[in-house]
Amino acid sequence: MSWIVTGMGAVASIGGSVEEIFDSLVAGRSGLGPLRGYDRDKFRAQVAYEIDDRPAPGVDEPLRATRWLEQAVAAAAADAGLGDDLSSVPVLVGTTLRELRSVELSWRDGIPFDAADLHFGTMLRRRFGAADTHTVANACSASLYALAMGADLLEAGAADTVVVAGVDTITESTYGLLDRCYPEAPDRVRPFDRARRGMLQGEGAVAVVLRRQADGPGAAARVHARVRGVAVNCDAYHPSAPDAKSIAAAVQEAHRRAGVRPADIDLVMLHGTGTPLNDEAESTALGSVFAGLDVSPYMTAIKSMTGHTAGASGLHSLVAAVDVLRTGTVPPTVYLDDPVEAVAGFRLVRGVAERPAEPMRLAQIDSFGFGGLNAVAVIERAGASDE
Amino acid sequence: MSDFATADAVITGMGSAVRGLDGPWQLLSALPDGHREAADPVSRLSGRGLRYKDRATKLAMVAARDALRAAALLDEAGDLTVPGESVGVSVSTNYGNADTVCETVRTIAESTYLGTSPMMLPATSSNVVASWVAITHGLRGANLTLCNGPTSGLDAVNWARLLIGSGRVERMLVVGVEPDNPAVRHVTGAAQEGAGEVPELFDGAVALVVESRASAQARGVRPLAVLGPYARRARHADAVSEVRRRAAGTVGLWCVPEHPEGVRAPAAGLGAAAGSAVPVHDLSALYGPASGALGVLQCAAGVVWLEGRSGAVDEVVLASAGTGDAGGDDAGAALLLAGAGGAA
Repeated sequence: MSWIVTGMGAVASIGGSVEEIFDSLVAGRSGLGPLRGYDRDKFRAQVAYEIDDRPAPGVDEPLRATRWLEQAVAAAAADAGLGDDLSSVPVLVGTTLRELRSVELSWRDGIPFDAADLHFGTMLRRRFGAADTHTVANACSASLYALAMGADLLEAGAADTVVVAGVDTITESTYGLLDRCYPEAPDRVRPFDRARRGMLQGEGAVAVVLRRQADGPGAAARVHARVRGVAVNCDAYHPSAPDAKSIAAAVQEAHRRAGVRPADIDLVMLHGTGTPLNDEAESTALGSVFAGLDVSPYMTAIKSMTGHTAGASGLHSLVAAVDVLRTGTVPPTVYLDDPVEAVAGFRLVRGVAERPAEPMRLAQIDSFGFGGLNAVAVIERAGASDE
Repeated sequence: MSDFATADAVITGMGSAVRGLDGPWQLLSALPDGHREAADPVSRLSGRGLRYKDRATKLAMVAARDALRAAALLDEAGDLTVPGESVGVSVSTNYGNADTVCETVRTIAESTYLGTSPMMLPATSSNVVASWVAITHGLRGANLTLCNGPTSGLDAVNWARLLIGSGRVERMLVVGVEPDNPAVRHVTGAAQEGAGEVPELFDGAVALVVESRASAQARGVRPLAVLGPYARRARHADAVSEVRRRAAGTVGLWCVPEHPEGVRAPAAGLGAAAGSAVPVHDLSALYGPASGALGVLQCAAGVVWLEGRSGAVDEVVLASAGTGDAGGDDAGAALLLAGAGGAA
């Protein structure tokens, strides 16, 4: 079975809509900025990829993630012609940190927070009338895991339309512990660069509307892309370090589900967090999957501009991939000045955006998370099968 | 959601980690007198690495091991008897890692990031329980963590069934877990310990193995119960009527939601959708508010009840969680369970 994306919405540090985000990516504009909501004296790292919407510098407030999710879902639903009524539409939300930033503010600073807002169903019910809602806390592969679950629901005939979303804000606990883990404070996210120092978090939300291809776009004005297959698995190996063999297995399963061969893939949206562990595992896995090809697919890592948007990051990459396939322009991986040896054979787009001469049809989106959670999707440019 | 693969998902093993209970087969009963003095279930774990695991993870590991063993998925040596790729994990917890998050942010306030231990990093992510359960037993299939409010446990059971039905895995280990600690009491607004009549929060875990009937047959394992229809709706009564419309049988036991007025309030406010005079099993009243663990607890208790009624095959168990419009929760979910020879 195949599925179609009929609506998209997104928010990130580099833009408040799918269009703004893609424009920033193509222009190489990064959302990196000084830490805005925390007491900077408590940390060695001083920067992150935050959305600049706090009430005042240094003043944090609860429910920011919920607000962005609402914005992304509203945009995707409107784009798909669904309006504001999702009372008969399942909504699956992938997230790493839920509203745990609000819990931190409540616990430490006494800022009121209702436990009912820890999962996103409460807002989705109030705002969109949605009742079949699921907050899936699947770490940094959560939104692509949710995409697999949404595709399964449609395949089972359990729904005709599904909203799949991802959202994350930065918690101080995670930011501080990452700061504690790295030998040096990261200055920016530099995937696959020898000067990488680790990962920095980003903020944002993203949503897509998914339907069975056979049913057509319904009330939507257009089809953005076709989802060919989504694979998920678990390393069952280490709580934070990834496993290259398991990642390769997920990629190969995604290809199998999509009915494609490695040579068919035109573009890989890398997970690319800029940690040595991820870079090594992802490059090893892709090296084995794409071994034997004369030239590798084009590859890029948008976390170099969005930061690691965690549970939202997989769908952020997918939505960007839709626009890459549509426009034929691949955003660069910025600050990738001195690539590590392991990616020497990869056609990484660096410096400035590239426009390959041949039209691109198929994109692979990588998304990996703590707990060895791997999710990989393959999408196809809208209309490409008819050519 | 539809009847997709409904007839094919069965429960083949259970485990629990609840102070004062010897195992899941006691889940129809109140906690015994003196249960507070009973051994902590996590004392059944041994080995390295426990120091840096949060309480929810340790509780879940105890229940998970027992459920896998009961379903004959672990051999005498504790090794998996089926390929790791064929087993997924579905965990439900709303407050499992609140303690790590709260303690860490306080440590940072008092002594900067340098006061933290890097070993705690994985537990800041809400999937840490599912992660450790998978690592412990080599479960390499789809791995889910539902943090979905009051309905979360029933949702996790249903997602297990869906992932089996879609062919991603052959079997799923489902775990419902909530710890009781100061961070959870703060977030939930529960009174701090020792504050009089307020019931204790549930502090424990329960685990189920869900698999296709074909898988159970192929392994020669007897199904304990069959998962019936599930629905999540804005109104609790609509969720209940939806699952009852889709399956035959008389409700012989109703495992009720936690109530908005507190766990000791009557269930009458939820309406008589289950039928009049149905015996009610209120696990929150017996064991304390169980939040994300409740739905899995209900299913385990339902299995115990069904096993005790092995002759009466037309009677089903209704589990419902989340009060929906009746009590201000975002939704209500309902799930039916039938005996392994039964109709649902």
